Parts: sequence; C-alpha cells; structure tokens
Amino acid sequence: MAHSDIREELHRAPVEPLLPIEKKLIGWSLTIGLVLLAALALLNHYAPVTF
Amino acid sequence: MSDTILNEIGPQRADAVTAPINEDWLAVVLGLAIFVLALAVLVNVDLIGWVVTTSVWSNLGQALKTTSKDFSSLGGFGALIATYVALLAVLSAGAASLKANVTRFALAFTAVFWIAYASWVIGNFANFAAVTPAEQQKFGISWSLKLTNEGGYIFALIAGLIIANFFPRFAEAVREAVRPELYIKVAIVILGGVFAVTAAGKLGLASSLILRGVAAIVEAYLIYWAVVYFVARKWFGFNREWAAPLASGISICGVSAAIATGAAIRARPVVPVLVSSLVVIFAVVEVLILPFLAQAFLAHEPLVAGAWMGLAVKTDGAAVAAGGITESLILAKNAAEGVNYQPGWILGTAATIKVFIDIFIGIWAFVLGYIWTNHINVTPDQDKAKIREIWQRFPKFIIGFLITFVVGLYLALGTPVDIAKKVPAAIGEANTFRVIFFILTFFSIGVLSNFKTLWQEGFGKLAAVYLLSLFGFVVWVGLLISWLFFGGITPPLAS
Repeated sequence: MAHSDIREELHRAPVEPLLPIEKKLIGWSLTIGLVLLAALALLNHYAPVTF
Repeated sequence: MSDTILNEIGPQRADAVTAPINEDWLAVVLGLAIFVLALAVLVNVDLIGWVVTTSVWSNLGQALKTTSKDFSSLGGFGALIATYVALLAVLSAGAASLKANVTRFALAFTAVFWIAYASWVIGNFANFAAVTPAEQQKFGISWSLKLTNEGGYIFALIAGLIIANFFPRFAEAVREAVRPELYIKVAIVILGGVFAVTAAGKLGLASSLILRGVAAIVEAYLIYWAVVYFVARKWFGFNREWAAPLASGISICGVSAAIATGAAIRARPVVPVLVSSLVVIFAVVEVLILPFLAQAFLAHEPLVAGAWMGLAVKTDGAAVAAGGITESLILAKNAAEGVNYQPGWILGTAATIKVFIDIFIGIWAFVLGYIWTNHINVTPDQDKAKIREIWQRFPKFIIGFLITFVVGLYLALGTPVDIAKKVPAAIGEANTFRVIFFILTFFSIGVLSNFKTLWQEGFGKLAAVYLLSLFGFVVWVGLLISWLFFGGITPPLAS
C-alpha cells in the first residue's frame, strides 16, 4: 500500500464506535491494574527492601 | 516514511522469511558465545582481552587500549582493528544465517562500525566527558560538558541522526547493517552476566529490586495500554486495527509489542510497521531528554531514575541504553558531591524492568488475539488465536539473559574463592563487548530516524496520539510508580 494511501486512509477512516467488548477490555484492565498496583504498594510498604 | 526505513523496522525482512534462525536466536548465540569466551579467564586463558576499550582523553594517542594488559603489545589502534575484524567476521556469519546479503552486510557494517566507534571516541574527549575537578585538572582543561564517557552514546546517536536526515542515500546504502534490535539483544544477553556480578554482592537488594519489577508489568500492560487504547479510539478516532498496535507500541515495549499485537489482531503488516517507525523516533527524543532530566532531578534517587528509564523509554535498545547514560550521569553527579555509588545498579534496574515487561508480550498478544478473533473480527476456527502463539512471540533473547545471569551468579557465589575472585574480570571483558553493541545500537537507532520524511508524509495524527500519550501520561505515571516502588532505595556505596 502506498504511503499516500495510508495518509488518506487515516484521514478518511470511518469512526468505529467502541464495542461493549472493548469497553470491557479497557475497564477490566484498568480495574485489575489499579487493584494489583495497590496490593503491590501495600506489599512494598510492609516488606521493605532488604540489603 | 521511506520504504527503506519501513522495511528495516518491519517485523521481518524479506530474506528473513526463509532464514534458518531469526534475530532473537542469533542474539542468544552471539551473546552466549562472547560470555563463554570471556569465562576462559577463570582457567587463566584470556581469549578476548584484545577487545578495544576507550578512556577519556585529551591526547588522541591515549584514547584506545586493549581490555586486558596481556594484549597491550597490540596497542590501541591494533585493538580497534582486531575488534573490527572479529565483529565483522562473526556478524557476517550471523548475517549469512539470516539469509542476508553477506557482501552488502560486510560493506555496510564496515561503515557502521567505524562511524559509530569514531563518534564514541569523540564523545570521550575530555572537554565533553571529564566530570570531576580532579579529572579536569588531570587533563589540563578548564571546562567540560560533564557528559561522562557514556555521553559517547549520544554522539553515536547524533551521528546516526545526521546521516538519516542529511545523507539519506548513505543511510540507504548502509541499511543492511543497521540492525538496532539485533545489537541490543546481544548486549542484553551479555548484560545478564554483568548484572549477576553486580547483584552477587548484594543479593537481598537485587532480589528486592527484581520483585518490584512486577509493578512495572502491571503498569505497562494493564494501565498504560488501556488508557492509550481509549485515547486513540475515543479522542483521536482511530479504528481498532490502528489503535491496538499503537497502544502496545506506546505502552509496552515499542517495536516488539506493536509487531506482536499487529500480528495477533490480524492487522495488515503495514500498520505495526508504521507504528514501529514512530516508536523509534520518539525513543530517540526520549533518550536525548530523559537521562538529563533524571540527572537534574533524580540524582539522589538513583534507582527511581533507573526504573523510570525502563518504564518510560520505549524499545529495548533505547530503554536499556538510556539506563546506561542515566547511570553514568547520576554516578558522576554524586561523585562530584563526594558520594560514590557502585556502578551497575541503575543500568541493572532499567534492564530488569524492561526484561520483565518483554516476558509478557506474547501472553498479552494472545489475550488481544483471542478477543479480536473471537469477539471483534470473528474469524474461521483455523485463524483463531492459538496458545502456541505465546511461545512463538516470546522474545527468545531473554532466555540468553537468564542463562548468563544464573551462570554469572553461580560463578560469583557458588564456586571456590580462587575462581570467584576472577569472575568480575572475566565478565568485565564481555562487558566491553556489551558497550560496543550499545554503541552500534545508538548509531543504528539514529540512522533509522528520519524526522523530515515522517513529517512530510503527514502522519501527524499518529504522532499526535503518541506525543500526547507518551509525554502527557506514560512518562509521568512511570515516574510516579518508579518513585512509589524504588523511592528511598540507593545502590551500595563503592568500596
């Protein structure tokens, strides 16, 4: 595909609304990520670095 | 962006399709070969002590020397020639195994090696590299940019950028040897052994740091990806085929992640290739800015700085190399204040974070592939995501990193004292090769970064989402999480 075609494609691509499965992917990723991060932060606090 | 550049960054060169080995495995073979040759020192045989090393200089005649005094009769320039010949022979054989054009590779590598190493030597000029007043006095100079000797990487990067942007025909001519991914993977395999020697002295600290690397995985895959995907889809209106590789490229590990994601969601090959070109260019911008920001603001939080490089700078090459420059700049600043930290910890932290993130690329690509082929673009059964794709996309050079790390750790801790005491010297010889592969990586990244053609061909929208996500979110959240998990931890002091 020529690069001018890609440029055109990027400018003219029809909008694809977010599907429910995409919303789930984003939502679950963020939720699990934030929960795990909080858990790791707690672990970090209670099991400090050893030298 | 020119076809040439796209081909270079792309997932597979045409000749690689039928090659018996890929760049990942080749990197493992080359890295392990260097590591094993270096270990001969343990039985009092010095096989690679002739490799060239560069010191900070004010008199060019004193810039180069052999790594081991056993080979000092070669002289500095002799060592450089020997290093060039050895690398030319080994890498040409590697190019043959990749089914590349060996003659063209050899000619191109000759240009790449000499320009890159010359840039490194220039970067070691005392007025650029000397850091402490004592060093300035030693070299008889009244001023210095204080870039440290590893500022030479920046010189190699700038040389590559000049070639890419002002001599595009030359960049095209040497493209066969412009392989940043191969060079950095070899360096990372060697780095496993180097990090083992560093960690052996403070095993508790090293294991604590490695455990904290888990936080990086959570951040890159679950938080960065989701936010960047949302931004690309909702705010910038990208369709799914573009948004998913873009999110992986910005949030996970640049080129590898964009390519793995593109393949997993069955995107057209051109999509991850274009995203990869953006990743490389922005990585260059990050390498030119973030280490100096880290030196200015994180000099007293060295491991936060190292973790930040691993989390914020995309592509393995740029991230690990940025860790190297950051280490050099921060150690120098602390040394000027009278605090001498052991080298290796900042770079080791950056590399560990990056390796941890890399390990899960295959799994994440499989998750996306499963969702795409089963729920979004439902495909026939034979084209659905399969569990074996996890292994197919696993970055194999990590196996090399783990082998050198485990072997290095065993040699340093599990062998009799008379052998263990020789391990740092042996690994040190391999580390000299690691530095050379870093130099080649920096130069190659520069040669691939043609800002002008990117701008001319109008990929502003892709660049805009990258710019907003990277500098508006990824860099700062990376800093916050680095601070949260690595704040207050300092490397051991040098004895």
